[in-house]
Amino acid sequence: MTDTDPQVADDGPVRFMPQLISLDYTVRTNPVAAAFGEALADGRITGHRCPSCSLVFVPPKGFCPICTIETTSADEVVIEDRGMVTAWTVLTPIQYHGQQERKDYALASILLVGADGTVGQQRLIDIPLDEIRPGLMVEAVWAAPEDRVADDRGYGLGTAIDGWKATGEPDAPASEYEGHTL
Amino acid sequence: MAERCAIVGIGQTHHRKVREDVSFAGLLREAGQRALDDAEMTWRDIDAVVIGTAPDSFEGVMMPELYLADALGCAGKPIMRVHTAGSVGGSTAIVASHLIQSGIRKRVLTIAFEKQSEGDTTWGLSGGRSGGVGAGGYFAPHLRAYIARSKAPEYVGWMVAVKDRLNALKNPYAHLKVPDITLEKVRDSPMVWEPVRRLESCPASDGACAMVLTDEAGGDRAPHKPAWVHGTAIRSELGQFPGRDPVNPKGGQDCAADVFAQAGITNPRKDVDVVEMYVPFSWYEPMWLENLGFAEEGGGWKLTEDGVTEIGGDLPVNCSGGVLSSNPIGASGMLRFAEAALQVRGQAGEHQVDGARTGVGHAYGGASQFFAMWVVRDTKP
Amino acid sequence: MRDVAIVSFAQAGSLVDTAESETQMLLPVINAAIEGSGITRADIGFTCSGSADYLAGTPFAFVANLEAVGAWPPISESHVDMDGAWALYEAWVRLQHGDVDVALAFSSGISSRSDLGEVLCLQNDPYYLMPLWADHVSLAALQARALLDQGLATEADLAEVVARSRRNAAANPSAHPDVRAAGDLSVDQLLEAAYTVAPLRAADCPPTTDGAAAVILVAGDRAREVCDNPAWIRGIDHRSEAHYPGLRDLAHAGSARLAAEHAGVADAPIEVAELAATFSHEELLLTEALGLGADTEVNPSGGALASNPMMVSGLIRIGEAFRQINEHGKHRTLGHAASGPCLQQNLVCVLEGDS
Repeated sequence: MTDTDPQVADDGPVRFMPQLISLDYTVRTNPVAAAFGEALADGRITGHRCPSCSLVFVPPKGFCPICTIETTSADEVVIEDRGMVTAWTVLTPIQYHGQQERKDYALASILLVGADGTVGQQRLIDIPLDEIRPGLMVEAVWAAPEDRVADDRGYGLGTAIDGWKATGEPDAPASEYEGHTL
Repeated sequence: MAERCAIVGIGQTHHRKVREDVSFAGLLREAGQRALDDAEMTWRDIDAVVIGTAPDSFEGVMMPELYLADALGCAGKPIMRVHTAGSVGGSTAIVASHLIQSGIRKRVLTIAFEKQSEGDTTWGLSGGRSGGVGAGGYFAPHLRAYIARSKAPEYVGWMVAVKDRLNALKNPYAHLKVPDITLEKVRDSPMVWEPVRRLESCPASDGACAMVLTDEAGGDRAPHKPAWVHGTAIRSELGQFPGRDPVNPKGGQDCAADVFAQAGITNPRKDVDVVEMYVPFSWYEPMWLENLGFAEEGGGWKLTEDGVTEIGGDLPVNCSGGVLSSNPIGASGMLRFAEAALQVRGQAGEHQVDGARTGVGHAYGGASQFFAMWVVRDTKP
Repeated sequence: MRDVAIVSFAQAGSLVDTAESETQMLLPVINAAIEGSGITRADIGFTCSGSADYLAGTPFAFVANLEAVGAWPPISESHVDMDGAWALYEAWVRLQHGDVDVALAFSSGISSRSDLGEVLCLQNDPYYLMPLWADHVSLAALQARALLDQGLATEADLAEVVARSRRNAAANPSAHPDVRAAGDLSVDQLLEAAYTVAPLRAADCPPTTDGAAAVILVAGDRAREVCDNPAWIRGIDHRSEAHYPGLRDLAHAGSARLAAEHAGVADAPIEVAELAATFSHEELLLTEALGLGADTEVNPSGGALASNPMMVSGLIRIGEAFRQINEHGKHRTLGHAASGPCLQQNLVCVLEGDS
């Protein structure tokens, strides 16, 4: 559980003793996230439509946070694997224990056709960083079926989609992406 | 009718990248002792302690109020720990003020802190997984959306950075000091999270802030002029749902409207003398000026451009150097609240705004979804 | 002080290895507390929650829980990284101002995701105690040993507490299913079991439990309008003591005694007390510290030994004390919560009915 690095004390008085603590967590994938993961493995993106306010949430939460009512598989809808970039940033990854990213990369929020909310922190593929813009139409590049693992907590799209590439369609108008900064 | 609440003691640490000279407990005691000295009190005089900090996983100490109880003189006393993400420093001060205003306690010590050097915040933020975007990566798209929406010139972000870094030179406690700061230097600093450049971002700091709050009788007896609480407000909203606007969040608008109504402020731009707002990335200054009602929508950047927010301007913002200069995360919100109180007490030293009588402290957190504010004045409500 | 009453309580008090997220677990509980209160969601003027990031294994875990509240339009809301009993305390403080009449307090915790014996080590002083990896059961055993060594209790006394707790749990649908399934065990049977950490046996320790709970607080006459038999908070206080076990007299729960004094426990007899005694010996310590006599019924729900969702257990004790008044017609009851190693922090809440 504890790993103390002996090399740190080599030069001069001890200032810090790094003590890496590891704690193990077993996160059981909740039933809604599990069903979402199974659909992803099949190459389908699903969401839940709130029976009260009709908003479609992707990934599904199992409830509508606005109406505070539960949603079930009966409320499931299939979403297209195509949509528009609504917001993005280019990151210079900060190095920390466990970080595997080394180079600058772009992450975008994407509003999928058929969904009311965006999916966040999505990779863009083969799109020069200076050509990313809101309204850019993109489509999913799916991972190989055996590599499609859903996030255990039900966040995002897990490893099912490697990233998103431009479709070449005309950009969506501002009226369609404004209001979807998140 | 609620009891009046006075701020009779204020203390903070020297904020640094690494405070290797003190433990967690030592860091809190340094701020706490300064606040007690200011109030001419001892640890024994305190009825209750309220502490606040960001997620425990940033530092590896779970429920730190347990370990800190000894150092904070809490054997036999009540101690609570508040956690409301980045707004926590502000919310913690508000919980402490509620203990006074409710008449339950007479003398409350409140301390907020972060010792980033003894943990790894980016690791903590990522939940220990690869690919964590950090706070900057998360907020960057919101800043770009503001720039696009308001058509603000790019140099406004640089101007905020230069102003706050110049202000920090007047604050002996500030962490990051860049004496030769210029617009060009900000412009030429590396891009970290497009559109945020290195010098437009906050540092990672070790630091703490403390305040002693009392009831009206305590305020009347205070050895140094107290500040008086005229209003407090908190708001929370869902972090993500279709149509949510993180650029001008409703929670921030509602929080400001509530606290201004309590303090009888009808025209914030005119009625407020000094503002300490939570600006971890430079563009948040114009964004929050609009969100809190100091400027009309799309007009915040013009206040910055016109120098209104400088010390000596009409509406000085972050005279202390703000979060851009010192960011002990859990304490950053309380520093805003405390600096606003220092100003109306006339104790801000070199960064004092002449004749400041009404001050506003502001903090935000989460996905721009938690808000805490207070209004303080040099006179009783 | 302004009169404030609990008018509604709901719990999912004994989930086992739940697969649900904390938010999914909370949503029906909060909805049930609101539906049971006779007020509408829009009437709630202040909300406060309790939870622990380290149990969830995710920083800012409480942020997602906001989705179970319905925080749109924005609400006035706060959070403590403490048991929900402290969230209830903060809500009670807020209601004293007079401008808000209704508050919601709730909490949640999933203990089964991690090994509490590891995770709770991080509660200890990070420099001197934490590197020892002294787990909470071992520290509790030190305290139990202090009681035995000072002649204040015997191992049979501990077994008596366990036996009664299990008998009571049998009638409580919210108690942990494993505890209920185990059925009645005599003191002799309990004493035959091997030690887990001497002098504590497995039955002296709580079951790993996941859960959530919520209460609605209403101030003044409005409480009587919405609730036939509200439970008025007559006194509430919380105290800490020194963190270092070596600085304390472990054979006495000093901060629990202080909290009881400030909450006015001794002002009149307590009919029922629900104590967050997570280990059997803690009930004996607390009964003494709170000054409870032989005529006080302790933990009719089975207490924390029968169900111990961390971060929720204290709030459930107060909720059960409320039920004793609201459903069972008792007049004066007590709910207790604790936090930290060896009962370091204690909260005492005295409730009274109108009858």
